Amino acid sequence: MSGRATARVLRLLPVVLALLVATMPAHSAEDADFALTTAAGNRLLIVSELSPLAINLMHGWRLHLLDTDGKPLSKASITVRGGMPEHDHGLPTEPAVTGEPEPGVYLLAGLRFHMPGRWLLEFDIALDGGAADSASLAFEL
Amino acid sequence: MSKGALAIGAMLALAALVWWLAPARLPETWSEQEAALIASLSLATLSELPADPSNAVADDERAARLGQRLFFDRRLSTNGAISCASCHRPELSFSDGLPVAVGTGVGERHTPSLIGIAFSPWLYWDGRRDSQWAQALAPMETHFEQGAGRTAVVRLLASEQQYRSAYEEIFAALPAADRLPAAASPLGNAVERENWRSLDPELRAAVNRAFANAGKALAAYQRKLLPGRSRFDDYADAVARDRAVLPQEDWLSRDEIAGLGVFIGTGQCINCHNGPLFSNHDFHNTGILPASGQMPSMGRYDGISLARQDPFNCLGEFSDAEPGQCMELRFANDGSELAGAHKTPGLRTASRTAPYMHAGQIATLAEVMQHYNEAPVAMLGHNEAKPLGLAPRQLRQLEAFLGSLEAPVATAQQWLAAP
Repeated sequence: MSGRATARVLRLLPVVLALLVATMPAHSAEDADFALTTAAGNRLLIVSELSPLAINLMHGWRLHLLDTDGKPLSKASITVRGGMPEHDHGLPTEPAVTGEPEPGVYLLAGLRFHMPGRWLLEFDIALDGGAADSASLAFEL
Repeated sequence: MSKGALAIGAMLALAALVWWLAPARLPETWSEQEAALIASLSLATLSELPADPSNAVADDERAARLGQRLFFDRRLSTNGAISCASCHRPELSFSDGLPVAVGTGVGERHTPSLIGIAFSPWLYWDGRRDSQWAQALAPMETHFEQGAGRTAVVRLLASEQQYRSAYEEIFAALPAADRLPAAASPLGNAVERENWRSLDPELRAAVNRAFANAGKALAAYQRKLLPGRSRFDDYADAVARDRAVLPQEDWLSRDEIAGLGVFIGTGQCINCHNGPLFSNHDFHNTGILPASGQMPSMGRYDGISLARQDPFNCLGEFSDAEPGQCMELRFANDGSELAGAHKTPGLRTASRTAPYMHAGQIATLAEVMQHYNEAPVAMLGHNEAKPLGLAPRQLRQLEAFLGSLEAPVATAQQWLAAP
């Protein structure tokens, strides 16, 4: 490799590294916007496309479902419901999981929050094999 | 009455007058959270006009010019007297000042202002259409609005040279006008529906396509109708720089500032009237009574069902979007809690667009404030709002604050009248 080519590769290195980091699954709670422990003791890490969260913008979340040892739990079925308890209404949209691009990582699409205040989301999880699990998320916008 | 009683009465009246006329009490400075909320309402935070992937000509100047001609053209109605601009009157913030729209007949809904409506993912009070272009088609086929019907719209485009050349430069060749019946529409009366059924299927498809394109041109025009900066925006930007700039009578009066405090605070108005357009573009049930003589409106519960059935929606064959770009329609909520919910209107034109609510049920802003202060039980579904317990003086201050949002439209004069 010539010196110029090496220099070019080196110049690109930070970009490549940044891309790698951006697409890496968040297997640790520090990388997640929200880190939850499910009723069965599993971990549900949430990485939002929109960070920090803001009102009135349609966006998606990546849900990382891990067992107690941090191993991905694949082929689970996850649904979400929720709303604003103080205002006695549900979510303005019906978010849904649209795919599992890699084991234990689920794409939740169609999220939009339309009011500032306290939101409550409930995740109903059917694990591969049929066992039921769940998690709750409360946050302030 | 004794002199003593008279004197006490006079003193009480004087005290009331002093209380009424005294300048509003204002806090020393906005808190950090209040300042952030105020800044979030400024036009300075308004994003770029969102793209409409379902309309390939949304930002095409030629389409906007064609749309402008159509917007002001009365020939798009059965009686030749009603254009889009008959109800969306430029001099009234593109609204009409009436409780419900009056086109070729009397309608059922209050005409909303069009200023800044391109930012809303849903159109109509119940969100029955999911784009500006799909919305623009509906009045042309509604018998009490314009009602010309889709073949009449396409015949006009095809028969007038100026329309034809403008259209064909942007889109594709139009069908020959003499092949089209004057009145045919799948949504018209029995004769119009029969005329539509008897059309050659290929011609029907061509008419549908050209009709959809007319809507896309109308949308390209209406995307230009944007709000201008108000006195409030100058004040909000000053607060964003320095939250201690409280009493700034150059921009806002003390009552207006006090009203702003109620708006973002105990009045809870900002819950739904949020962001720089003062709307979350979503649907809420706030216990508005039906207009006299009308059944209570199912609102969004029916609206989302209509939007899903609309052949001109984002997922339909006339849309230019990929299914993956139709996020609002794909992930819309269909739940029964939306019964009686109507769209949050923006407030930037509120002080000039009385009466209010989806059927113009409430005549004045003062009565609107009273309604939200009381939060009555809804006739259908449930009222999301709770009684506020504000003093009459605070309600007046809220109304004063809304006046500070008044501003001329930020659109060049050339677009504000027929070309």
